[in-house]
Amino acid sequence: MTIDELKRYNGLNGARAYIAYKSIVYDVTESPLWKNGDHQGTHVAGVDLTSELSNAPHDNEVFEKFAVVGTLEGSEQVLASVQTPKMQEHQRDSYEPFKSKLRTWYKIYHPHPVAVHFPIALHLFSSGMDFLFLMRPKEAYDAGVFYSFFIATVMGFVAMVPGILSWWINYNFVMHRAFVIKLIVAIITLLLGVVAIAIYYENPHAVYEHSLKGILYHVIVLVTGLNVIVLGYFGGKITWGYGKYQTLQEDIKETVSLAKHQNTLSSHSNIQSISILIGGAAGTGIATLEKILSDAFKESGFYIFSTKEYMSRVRGGSNTTLLRISETPLDAPCWEVDISIALDVLALEHMQERWHKNTLVLADESFTEKKNNVVLVAMKESAKKFGSSKYANTYIAGVLFGLLKIEKNSLLQSIAEHFKEDEANKNVADFGYEEGAKLENLTLPNLPKADLEGVKKLHLMDGTTACGFGFLAGGCNMVTSYPMSPSTGVLNFMADMSKHLTIAVEQSEDEIASLHMVLGGWYSGARAMTTTSGGGFALMGEALSLSGMSETPAVIYLAQRPGPATGLPTRSEQGDLNMALYSGHGPFPRVILAPGSLRECIEYGYLAFELADKYQVPVIVLSDQYLADSISMIENVDFSSYEQRRYFVKSSENYVRYEDTETGISPRAIPGFGEGLICAVGDEHDERGQITEDYKMREKMVAKRARKSDALTLEAVAPEVVGEGDIAIIGWGSTRGVILESLQHLSNPRLAHVHFGWVHPLEPQQLKSLERFKYKVVVENNADGAFANQLKLHDIQIDKQILQSNGFNFFVDQLSVMIEKSVKELS
Amino acid sequence: MSSLFDRENVDVAWCHGCGNLGILKLIKEILEELEVDKKTSVIVSGIGQAAKTPYYIDTNMFGVLHGRALPVATAIKLGNPNLCVVAEGGDGDMYGEGGNHFIHTIRRNVGIVHIVHNNMVYGLTKGQASPTSPKGFVTKVQVGGVVNEPFNPLAVALSLKAGFVSRVNIGDAKHAKEVLKSAFLHHGYALIDILQPCPTFNKTNTYHWFKENSYVLNDSYDSSDFVGALQKAFEFSPMPLGVIYQDKSNRDIFERSIRGVDAKPLHAMSHDVSKIQDLFNSL
Repeated sequence: MTIDELKRYNGLNGARAYIAYKSIVYDVTESPLWKNGDHQGTHVAGVDLTSELSNAPHDNEVFEKFAVVGTLEGSEQVLASVQTPKMQEHQRDSYEPFKSKLRTWYKIYHPHPVAVHFPIALHLFSSGMDFLFLMRPKEAYDAGVFYSFFIATVMGFVAMVPGILSWWINYNFVMHRAFVIKLIVAIITLLLGVVAIAIYYENPHAVYEHSLKGILYHVIVLVTGLNVIVLGYFGGKITWGYGKYQTLQEDIKETVSLAKHQNTLSSHSNIQSISILIGGAAGTGIATLEKILSDAFKESGFYIFSTKEYMSRVRGGSNTTLLRISETPLDAPCWEVDISIALDVLALEHMQERWHKNTLVLADESFTEKKNNVVLVAMKESAKKFGSSKYANTYIAGVLFGLLKIEKNSLLQSIAEHFKEDEANKNVADFGYEEGAKLENLTLPNLPKADLEGVKKLHLMDGTTACGFGFLAGGCNMVTSYPMSPSTGVLNFMADMSKHLTIAVEQSEDEIASLHMVLGGWYSGARAMTTTSGGGFALMGEALSLSGMSETPAVIYLAQRPGPATGLPTRSEQGDLNMALYSGHGPFPRVILAPGSLRECIEYGYLAFELADKYQVPVIVLSDQYLADSISMIENVDFSSYEQRRYFVKSSENYVRYEDTETGISPRAIPGFGEGLICAVGDEHDERGQITEDYKMREKMVAKRARKSDALTLEAVAPEVVGEGDIAIIGWGSTRGVILESLQHLSNPRLAHVHFGWVHPLEPQQLKSLERFKYKVVVENNADGAFANQLKLHDIQIDKQILQSNGFNFFVDQLSVMIEKSVKELS
Repeated sequence: MSSLFDRENVDVAWCHGCGNLGILKLIKEILEELEVDKKTSVIVSGIGQAAKTPYYIDTNMFGVLHGRALPVATAIKLGNPNLCVVAEGGDGDMYGEGGNHFIHTIRRNVGIVHIVHNNMVYGLTKGQASPTSPKGFVTKVQVGGVVNEPFNPLAVALSLKAGFVSRVNIGDAKHAKEVLKSAFLHHGYALIDILQPCPTFNKTNTYHWFKENSYVLNDSYDSSDFVGALQKAFEFSPMPLGVIYQDKSNRDIFERSIRGVDAKPLHAMSHDVSKIQDLFNSL
């Protein structure tokens, strides 16, 4: 759900009341503390309360009792390119680590609120006593006034110190009205206090006199009483906000420029990037080269994107890896490349169609003759000089860095890291670097500006790894799979993670067993998943159906590859949406999530487990070879924000598994936890889980299962809309990055990108937002336009479809042309 | 006689004289005698007449799809090794549709009791041949009689090094109970193939036929002798009854190998988020 989406759930006029905290959206409708979307008169529903919570009188434990209804998109999405200078300055704050520690400490002890009540109370007490004294000047009142005033003044100072500390660590010394007023009033109060104490100290009897000093003393005592009311008032404002709709926190957010979600399409034309295509046979170390270069480029401060295409064979053939480096974050491949490195003769031929007129080609002198754009390097010979032809890769990496005149240390460091056992590699790279630096009179692409600080904060990983982390965040602790490209990466990842975390991993005998094991796992209380591709998923149809009937949760990671049948085993397509939608006999609710970025991989991976558990339905995470194998960068992720909830209940003695409830969700218990017995069934059943053929019971159960869809549909994460134009370029899943960059290239103000990560069930209200577009173009990497058809089922008119099913993903340069053409035809 | 494991208000769907009735009684008796806690035991069954058994036993159950009881039971044991898990079904369910799972569950040595009701015919679909139907058995589908070699569950299980392989005849309830009890007590995977008549659809393999064509292995039989057991597994007329083979060597069992010896149920565990964070940050 986006921030805009969230706003709709403000709890007013019968709408549900949602609030967001750390990217999780909670349903607070039922809470008496959130009646009509209003909380204590200080917060309203429909907003992200993350930053407010640190100032609330409670901690985040209050959210535990609320149902999670989704995640908030963009709330923590920090693309370096959308950071304002002020924000970067904020992040460069060298005190930040120290401040962060202080913040934690402050959160625990909150010294300012602790201390501040003493001076407030004492000053008011003192003023009150002074009133009494002025009416009846008794000695007792006089003493009361002075002693309380004295301590009030001292305590006032004591409270000011942590107050200023808090202003620094929590609010970055923001010059907001409330802080300024508080500071000035506090200083005045302190100074007046000193004056009054001095008067009394000099001559205690002055307070009985109508002298200047005597009058001043009483004025000060009474005024400071008013002062602390002002201090308390603004203190309250800082903590509780200014009123219903504009909270102070939001105000502060503006001032310190926290990350904002990007919703405009910035032009990409002036951004420098270089694309490098490396080609070679399987087994020639192409993957090693990719790893070395990625790490080295990252170390040099470049944003990186890389992707690969490979043949379905372990050795030989001709594979390529594309590496793009840029000065801003990247998340898409291009077809034509600036630099092309051939590791063998076949690669030279294979890559040829991806050269433009200025492509610089690096090839060994034995591969080809000298041509205009081909630079011959002594790859093989140089490698042999160092004793083995296997050094050709490190040599060419050196040449590339020398050629681009990138500081060589990052490369040498990456190589040293990678070849801990073979130090010769470093020397080879060093030699290559010098050779590369010598190459002259070449038309080289401009080197992107390095952003060491920005890049340092990012993590480099592929979609497989990000999905894996999402599943871990979702609490996955059982994986039962049959290996199948391109899904195997996640199986491998989870198996590797089982060395560090409790995850039961089993390779099943077939995909039929895989999904049945997942159901057995959930039945016993595990959070289980399976990984597969189209062919394997086809075998899971019956178990999917069993999940639907027995209302046993299941999570399926389905990484698509082109079909039918074995199709193109190592290539990419979005061809299995229809199967994911319709697989399994008999109707039952299901969820299909299709992440389109590393962040979405994590969020949807997490969400898959939460939704499966909460609604007792199968959840399919739809990935593809392109998403799984592409490497890009992701900012830090706070995993503590992904709270793992368990939705099963402790059973009572008369527990029934299929209780007919209003929402259709029957409390799910697990064997051995509680006093009851759990009877889960694949036959039609009554509430107990006994087989029945009673037609009334059948109708009741069909309705119960269907009813789960109502609430489930409301969980839908709204499509992400970027851009203001009236022509929507609609995509889903892995096309997110490539469509976005294509639109940035086209910089046509009429275009906007609409990305669906939540693919099924579509929420009609959210689809209404598509009405504002004059034209709708759907981009899909398949031949059947399955998603466009889903939109059509919801009465969305589709004006154009851009489809491709050649085994490749979309490329920015090609897709830009296709979009431009479609748009021209429309308008 | 009433049992702790009687389930109330159930409508038993079996014919009069069905072997399943005897097996149902037997299982309830054993669960009671072994003082099995109904809250921590689970019976998983597939589809078929035999697979209806857990609906009539008052314990946890998961009635899954035809042939699929074993992978579900495997994962239940993996998710919570403290549960007593039984997989139950007929010959078509376990040896036909679920044949692949049968093979691999034995290889895994999952700590479950595998009860197969073997009546050599398909009851639920009304009388077709099952994998264990003898050659020449005439049905509405096998009109010229069964031509395929019957499936030999004992030999298959033995060839895969199953730790407990047994066959009983429900006609001899006393002996059957004794063997089934030791199956429950076996550490690891235990197969019990129960010969039972189907009075409606199998007029050949009746109580009488089973009695005539089987014999109980006597005390001198050494069930720890693997080669001897393999020979016994191939004896047909008459068929040997009893524990054909038992490996008492405490072999590794699946759920303990993967989860460790004192593994807690997975429902009681959640990941340490700081560990996930560290693993992520290390990238």
